[in-house]
Amino acid sequence: MRISAVGLFLLLCFSSTLASAESISWRALSPEQREALAPLDQQWDTLPKAQRSHLLETAKRYPRLTHEQKERFHSRLEKWSKLTPEQREAAREKYRAFNKLPAKEREKIKQMAREQESARKAAAASSVPPASQLR
Amino acid sequence: MNTNLDPGKITRLLTLSARQLDQNTLSALSIARHKALERQSVRSPFFAFSTGHGTHRLLPNTAHPWAITALLVAILVVGTGFWQHVQEQQIDETDVAILTDDMPIDVFVD
Repeated sequence: MRISAVGLFLLLCFSSTLASAESISWRALSPEQREALAPLDQQWDTLPKAQRSHLLETAKRYPRLTHEQKERFHSRLEKWSKLTPEQREAAREKYRAFNKLPAKEREKIKQMAREQESARKAAAASSVPPASQLR
Repeated sequence: MNTNLDPGKITRLLTLSARQLDQNTLSALSIARHKALERQSVRSPFFAFSTGHGTHRLLPNTAHPWAITALLVAILVVGTGFWQHVQEQQIDETDVAILTDDMPIDVFVD
């Protein structure tokens, strides 16, 4: 009797872990989850289970984001999902290290990054020939 | 008659009385003492800690070793599961932060 009770308890502990890793198809997602993960609608069913599980957890936080944050989330989601687990882990480490820097230093780095980003966009725009030259 | 007996005097009187006992009673008492000591060693607590003022049992003596082992395994499983859950939550929070931060994602991605 006692053995079966302990066994049942252990089984429940393991089943909760297994349930979280259960594969969920795109069709089975709720409308809220689909809205949050919309950029991944095509590749969702091909993503590894563990990655889907993490993405579903991030989707839970989506409704609480601001409009601007939601736009960033959607624009970065596809690139993020295509990274290898090692690349994602390295990015997390860098992000954590960045957040440990003093506020002044963080702001300096942010300013540099913004400048690089705008320079990169400007370079990309100048390399595209005007529409009149394409005809 | 002096009724104020100190512990030392009581001990001496008991020793004296014991010497007056016959051999059969003495051997019966000796056997009983050995049996009591054997029972005590068998019932030594499975899980206990000492504070210098004696040994304190963490679990009752009636608990079977397998039940205690199962309990420890269950605590270990639940503890590991909880720790993993906390780790996963931290990862998910970092992921959302990276995906929504005003810093471009390329800064963190190689």
